[in-house]
Amino acid sequence: MAAQPLLSVENLSIFLGSGDAARKLLSNVAFKVEAKSVLGIIGESGSGKTLLSRALVNWVRPPLQVSSGTVVYQGRNLLALPEAEMACLRGREIAYIGANPTTALDPTVPVGHQIEEKLRAVEPGLSRSEARRRVIELLDAVRIPSALSRFDEYPFQFSGGMMQRAMIVDALISRPKLLVADNITQPLDVTVAAQILRLLRDLQRDFGTAIVFVSSSFGTIVEIADEVVVLDKGTVVEAQDTRRIQNAPVHPYTRELLARVPRLWHDVGGIPAVNSEPVVLSVRDVARTYEVKDRTSLFGKNRVQAVRGVSFEVRRGESLGLIGESGCGKSTLSRLLSSLEPPDRGAIEIDGVDVATLRGEALLSMRRRFQLLLQDPYNSIPSHVSIGETIAEPLRIHGLASGRKLREKVSAVMQEVGLSPDLQDSLPVGLSAGQRQRVNIARAMVLEPSVLILDETLSALDQVEQAKLLDLFDNLQRKHGITYLYISHDLAMVRRACSRIAVMYLGKIVEIGDNETIFNAPAHPYTRTLLSSVSTVEEKPFLPKDYLLEGEPPDPIHIPEGCSFRSRCPFVIDACRSIEPALVIKAGASAAACHLGMDDLPPPRICTVARGVTGLQRLENS
Amino acid sequence: MAFALEFFLRRISQGALIVLAVAFVIFTLLRIAPGDPIRIILGPMATPSAMEETAQRLGLRDPIPVQFVRYLGDIVKGDFGNSFIRGKQGGTTGGSQDAGGSAPVDRAPVIELIAKALPYTLLLAASGFLLACLVSIPLGILAGVRNHGWPQRVALYLSSFFVSLPNVWVGIVLIYLLSARTGWLPAIGYQHIGYVIIPAIVVAVELAPVMIRSISVAVATNVQEPFYEIGQVRGLSARAMLFRHVLRNAAVPLLNSFGAQMIGMLLGGLFVVEYIFSFPGIGLLTINAVFQRDFPVIQTVAIFASTVLVFINIAVDFASTTIDRRLKF
Amino acid sequence: MAIASSPPQTFAAPARGQSVNARILRLAWRSPEMKVASALFLALCLLTLFGPFVIDASATKISVADKFLPPIFMEGGKLPHILGTDQLGRDLLLRSLIGLRNAFLIGVVSVVLMFVLGCAIGIYSGYRGGWTDVVLMRITDIQMSIPVIILAITILGMSRPNPVTIIAVLVLSGWPIYARVARSVTLAERQKEYVRAARIIGASDLRIMVRHIAPSILPPIAFVAVLDVARMMIFEAIFGFIGIGIQPPTPTFGTIIAGGTQYLLNA
Repeated sequence: MAAQPLLSVENLSIFLGSGDAARKLLSNVAFKVEAKSVLGIIGESGSGKTLLSRALVNWVRPPLQVSSGTVVYQGRNLLALPEAEMACLRGREIAYIGANPTTALDPTVPVGHQIEEKLRAVEPGLSRSEARRRVIELLDAVRIPSALSRFDEYPFQFSGGMMQRAMIVDALISRPKLLVADNITQPLDVTVAAQILRLLRDLQRDFGTAIVFVSSSFGTIVEIADEVVVLDKGTVVEAQDTRRIQNAPVHPYTRELLARVPRLWHDVGGIPAVNSEPVVLSVRDVARTYEVKDRTSLFGKNRVQAVRGVSFEVRRGESLGLIGESGCGKSTLSRLLSSLEPPDRGAIEIDGVDVATLRGEALLSMRRRFQLLLQDPYNSIPSHVSIGETIAEPLRIHGLASGRKLREKVSAVMQEVGLSPDLQDSLPVGLSAGQRQRVNIARAMVLEPSVLILDETLSALDQVEQAKLLDLFDNLQRKHGITYLYISHDLAMVRRACSRIAVMYLGKIVEIGDNETIFNAPAHPYTRTLLSSVSTVEEKPFLPKDYLLEGEPPDPIHIPEGCSFRSRCPFVIDACRSIEPALVIKAGASAAACHLGMDDLPPPRICTVARGVTGLQRLENS
Repeated sequence: MAFALEFFLRRISQGALIVLAVAFVIFTLLRIAPGDPIRIILGPMATPSAMEETAQRLGLRDPIPVQFVRYLGDIVKGDFGNSFIRGKQGGTTGGSQDAGGSAPVDRAPVIELIAKALPYTLLLAASGFLLACLVSIPLGILAGVRNHGWPQRVALYLSSFFVSLPNVWVGIVLIYLLSARTGWLPAIGYQHIGYVIIPAIVVAVELAPVMIRSISVAVATNVQEPFYEIGQVRGLSARAMLFRHVLRNAAVPLLNSFGAQMIGMLLGGLFVVEYIFSFPGIGLLTINAVFQRDFPVIQTVAIFASTVLVFINIAVDFASTTIDRRLKF
Repeated sequence: MAIASSPPQTFAAPARGQSVNARILRLAWRSPEMKVASALFLALCLLTLFGPFVIDASATKISVADKFLPPIFMEGGKLPHILGTDQLGRDLLLRSLIGLRNAFLIGVVSVVLMFVLGCAIGIYSGYRGGWTDVVLMRITDIQMSIPVIILAITILGMSRPNPVTIIAVLVLSGWPIYARVARSVTLAERQKEYVRAARIIGASDLRIMVRHIAPSILPPIAFVAVLDVARMMIFEAIFGFIGIGIQPPTPTFGTIIAGGTQYLLNA
């Protein structure tokens, strides 16, 4: 019995469609999962990893077809099992968690009730009260705060991280022997993802469940897996134990994958330098509050404090990074900055003119100098208008060109951003995400703006495409002296692209400083928590065990008194509970809003200095 | 609880305004449209002075806002007025025949006319709707779940076929086939419960195609939601997912289309069907009232109908927000 | 909508000058149902355009000698009355064709009008939001709270009905549905990034509503509209039957059915 693995996959091939038109998505995949172990499967998007994880629970539906192979679980081939027998295994012995927890449950039934329903379906003899007790107990164990009242709350009232915890409860409540976790940390913020990972590791130990952990992030996989299988275009190219795959990868693809993981501390490329040009964009004490309905009181309103007084300056030709997790107010700030809505108070000045007060013509001419690039490459350009027309629209609106001159301008800007001018008359349907984002860039650049805000502009793109666009932005900046404001949650991206970085938490900037200081000697505990949570394959100066507490950011309706970070800060002192700290210059040369000095925080474990290799060279060398 | 209280407070006050506006629109329309009710009340032989006197007495010569305010005042007192035409004894007195007895006191109070007709209409509406449900719920669910198989095609063809048949035509053909030619069922008028069968079928034939379509679309949409398949992977049976979750979610768009579309169709259908079958309900009462320029009856029916629509919509929205807590109102 | 946001790898090469809608249409064209439906639609359009030149006045000519002729496929039928004659000896095929033409015309015109009116109001209401939205939506609520039939018999029953008043009644009762749908789609579209992108490049509200939102909400509403033409034609027939449609001697479906009813039930 000991010799037999819990699950073994042999020779598994899956096609899309049938007959001549069929495409092979998985070919001859084979691996084994030992009981009580964690197997990591890594692959990029399109490698077939989600398909593989679904095949493990026999969830392959037409037009997908299993053409050969077996998935043997304790001596039984799941793929050939009658539906009735498979139903006895699903949710009982084999559990599955998908990437998107927010759509996994019925949105109209409380979360707890659905877990209870599942538990009673897999253990028919169980009484309702007993099932309920067990669900609440486990919800509590995965550190969902006030599990008893959360039991009756609906999926939309859970944050992504809480929902993923609930799905883990749902999966583990029947004490399965095998858990398939497909990319479960992918949609989550870094600190939440780090918490989930830690939780899963603890539970795996306590429950003795074997886990197949599928992910596209090398950094995540190596943190949890005992063994790693590398999947490339539907084939297993390498299977190694975790330590060896990090230190001595055999297959070229594995090496490439590993090289592509962005570095934050080691072998960091040339970091943009801070300059001393005049200030172009000045934001002073900007705030925005929304009112939402409160269902618990008569005609009651809740005040959502999305942005609570943000100030910063950006100099000409500089790149400032604004980072923070979801709900920190960065998207509201981006709407305020692009004059889509006015701030409640404060001023946003471009070259000394407050844009918040502009109307009509003045606002229109200001927009020429001040453009914003959005995140979603699919939704931000209209699908029924030709590419050339989309890029030309700003010129038409501002009356800058017409006729042949317009066409020439459009094709010039298309060339500049790396789009073939031949595409002018095509519709955007066939374009890749990267090409679409270039259309967006062209549409903004055609107005020759002096400030460009990039609101998560690169987060929908893969690493390679991201690197290319960052180089494009570099070139444009050098050529036209454009000022960039990167709004992002991606630490690696701002590390590479920005000379200065501001960290936002609950509608405020908690720390702002130059790139090196923020990454190597940050003074705010939250900045350190963020850095500790990053999944990476290198040694980190800050570790989750020192900085990462449980719990999520408070919602912007109920902001704690005093320091807003105190509910998650491991170094709280008395002053934090009552006095809200202001931004002050700290020893490390950044300005941070914290009562503690640098000496009150643990020293960084390692300290590194960037070497002079650019990101692109690094990619080419690998 | 606060939420429900606020919901009802707000919606009922809004609803009252809507009913008031509808009443005013209909009230004004009636008075500016051509066709003088006095001519019908008194008959073609009446002298101009007699007509003028009657009009004065009925208050029809005052400015419309004055008439409307007076009308509202009466309604508040519970008095919806008396019919211009119909006598107290019931049945159409045929106004033109008894020009002498035109005093409003001899005429039937509108509220009584409606009270007499309402049960018939309710009976017809309930049986027609029930019949439509019996056919369209199973067929709609089946078509929604098997999105590409034969049930979907059958539902599509059946509903396209029936949706293009005018209910008057269906009514006549059914009368001919089931009553005139075979004598199986009674058709015209109302004497006992049997008289409701054919009209109910006609009402159902009009509703069913729309219901089948809405149900199958709502079910199909939710079957494609990730939670349906993931639920099965989580260990619940497809049956449990369908009946406990898919149908629950499908109920929200269904309730909406019921409130926005079907209830209007049902109401309109009832009017026409009652007319075809001389079925003594509200619809027949109203159509006759229009041809006889019987203003008080038309006004009251319009107020009743819009009140019913408003209340059904409030109920529907409340049910939707109770089922799906994400919805705002 | 789902087509527009599907990943790009489905389409290997950028399709030149071909919109998503065009592709859906081409796909639909492959189905036999679509071909039959298009042929019928074309025939209807031709009938509407050229019918009056081909069908002569004999359709309304009374000829008592020929009354109650059965269709020619039944015993006793005779040419040229293919579908027989009515109680006044008028040819039923011709009368039906004229009725069909009038119904189709009324259906199409009223739907086009309610479509334009409803969409304009709905897009404006949804895009503007705030008080504009509240007021406009309460007006649609009021309009929707008056059942079509009550409105129709009130207006048409009191005035002398003609095609213009019939269309007016249909438009008056039909536009709120379009306004509702257009508004709810606009509310969703307004959140999408392309609208934000358009505002950032400086597009005016009018431009965004007309150039950006309108094209993307048309497909779902056009679907409703096509079905509505049939509904309006049925209403026209019902009006005719009750006696509040186009007045005799012009034939309509409703009057043809009503004319036959008495005799049918006495037969």
